[in-house]
Amino acid sequence: MINDKDSQKIVDYIQNFSRKHSLFVMAYGTGCGAIEIPATMTSRYDAERFGIRGAATPRQADVLLITGYLATKTLKRVIRVYEQMQEPKYVIGFGSCTINGGMYYDSYNTINALEQYIPVDVYINGCMPRPESVISGFIKLQELIQQGKADNGKRYRENLEWYRTNQKKIIKNWKMPDYNW
Amino acid sequence: MEDLGLKIFGAILTTIMAFAVGMTYGGIVRKLTARVQNRFGPPFYQNFLDLVKLQSKKTNIAHGFMGHTAPVWIIIASITVLMFIPILNGNLWFPNLNFHGDLIFILYMMVFGSLGMALGAGQTGNPNSAIGVTRGLSMMVGYEIPFVLALVALMVQYHTTSIQDLMQIQHESGTWLIFSNPFAFLAALFASLGMFRYSPFDIVGAPAELASGPMSEFGGKYLGTMMTGGSIFSFIKLTLYVDLFLGGAGNPDHIGIWATLAGIGVLLIKTFTLYMVPVFYGWVSPRYRTEQAIRYFWGWPTALGIIGLIWAVY
Amino acid sequence: MTDLIKEQKLLENVTNPFKIKGRVIRNRRVEVFCDKETVSSVLLYAKTQLGYIHLAHMTCIDWIDENKFELVYTIWSPVEKVHLFVKTKIDRENPEMENIDRIWDQANTYEREMREMFGIEFPGLKGERDFALEDWEEIPPMRKDFDTHNYAQQTYFNRPGREDAKDVRETLVERSGTEVPDFAKKYSRER
Ligand code: SF4
Repeated sequence: MINDKDSQKIVDYIQNFSRKHSLFVMAYGTGCGAIEIPATMTSRYDAERFGIRGAATPRQADVLLITGYLATKTLKRVIRVYEQMQEPKYVIGFGSCTINGGMYYDSYNTINALEQYIPVDVYINGCMPRPESVISGFIKLQELIQQGKADNGKRYRENLEWYRTNQKKIIKNWKMPDYNW
Repeated sequence: MEDLGLKIFGAILTTIMAFAVGMTYGGIVRKLTARVQNRFGPPFYQNFLDLVKLQSKKTNIAHGFMGHTAPVWIIIASITVLMFIPILNGNLWFPNLNFHGDLIFILYMMVFGSLGMALGAGQTGNPNSAIGVTRGLSMMVGYEIPFVLALVALMVQYHTTSIQDLMQIQHESGTWLIFSNPFAFLAALFASLGMFRYSPFDIVGAPAELASGPMSEFGGKYLGTMMTGGSIFSFIKLTLYVDLFLGGAGNPDHIGIWATLAGIGVLLIKTFTLYMVPVFYGWVSPRYRTEQAIRYFWGWPTALGIIGLIWAVY
Repeated sequence: MTDLIKEQKLLENVTNPFKIKGRVIRNRRVEVFCDKETVSSVLLYAKTQLGYIHLAHMTCIDWIDENKFELVYTIWSPVEKVHLFVKTKIDRENPEMENIDRIWDQANTYEREMREMFGIEFPGLKGERDFALEDWEEIPPMRKDFDTHNYAQQTYFNRPGREDAKDVRETLVERSGTEVPDFAKKYSRER
């Protein structure tokens, strides 16, 4: 392995550069915001020029877009998807609903603040955010990746206990495989 | 001994070139597709970035032995086949393990990777993979028939089963086989539509229906390895077609460095032109279901293959 | 304005055999009120004899002051092009209603939803108890005595500044001590 510091830097730079320019987005839409994704991907706004591309399964994906409100039932599936994704992975909270509950702030069945349940790298606000803001959110994420600050998976692993407590508070019937990587 | 060293060096060179060309073609196709859809599109080196990213991802899933080795099988199959395909006609720099009967060997070997993949995908236990594999194998039954018919027509016509000989014949007579047996070429061309898995025949890895089919449990390094194997494979198919029908590239009489470079240039032009056929066809067609695809292949392409065979006999 | 003769006739067709009350709401809307026991016979009669072959909707209203649940069955006749509302009131304590999924299969879905959201029992209803919710332990959430705001505040992590329906801009102004910008005032609630 390379031990020299400078060569490690070069390797990091190359890795981060390619990670930043090749973001596979998990095709999993929750809430109303998912309708903005086709607009972002197709010809008018064309997210593919930044290397953003859909991936069909969590195994291949890098970015989990939470596109809107999360019912507790959906939260369970989202956690499952999130845990199946491989590191490095990133989460983007999309829309006011993921930030503070949005118009569902007093609903009996939707969570209010996403970062209490899974770590979030970037929030995009708006109800619902337009493709421009979605792309600006992605560019923010790319900056974080280039600086090496997007350590979503690491945060989750280190604070697993805390996240689990929060998740179990809502999902009472916890029948899920262990998170072991 | 010197000869062996040169051969190994040549093999490595061939593999690297096949990989680079295959990846770049894939990137160019992505760019072109984007332009056709009125988008700006990713840069042409996007596939390399994807590959580096995939290889630098952590991969902590285990699905048993076949699951682990499936991508390796693809790589093995593609490199093995690559070794038997003459890249340039009789050139020192790209030697190959040519022997009499390699056309038949290649026919078998080209399925090898898909079979390894099928076993690996089966072991992951994902239902989407299983469906994808069944569809892929049935589709393969579809396009293998016109393909084999076309190759058999060539073998019958020239009484040889060696690719090198066929290239030599084209070089000496000065006519390409596309003119001396156009029906066989057409049948093989239709078969290539299915082989490249571009649009009308992409049900195998349909992301919306099957969650990318056989690959659905493979991420990170597995996917990266598969991508590498796939790019080498697409280069192989193109070179094989060029060798068989379009007169190959390079000249056995000149083996200097400039002649080699010129040969590679010709090869790139020919392969790229050929590559555009399935891509163009894909842009304008929607997706076929499996049985529609099979009916497609067993219709006109097979008929053309049979006509080609009859043409070859008489 | 049409004179609703068709609707009057249709109303009498339903009310006369069962001696129940009803009224014409407006053009193409007719409603009848019956008690808990007659509902299924009215529906069956309307479906088989009067041609209301489509169950468009079933819903429930919580009249907490009367201590009643009102169930509304909306059925539709494609021949007459008329909606018929069959309404009935049942007790709010231990609510129980006859299961009508032998008349219309799709009633099953609505009934499961009502069972979950209002706690109305339909004896013999097929399907899981969990419909849209999962592992719900409180009183059924659509009942009026369920305080959803309070529940959300206790269960989910509220972000400070978004505890109530107040305009978020005001909180922001309070916190930062600046003015609301002009362009934002244009959309403010007070106007
Ligand atoms: S933020 Fe608005 S658009 Fe997005 S999910 Fe919530 S309500 Fe829907």
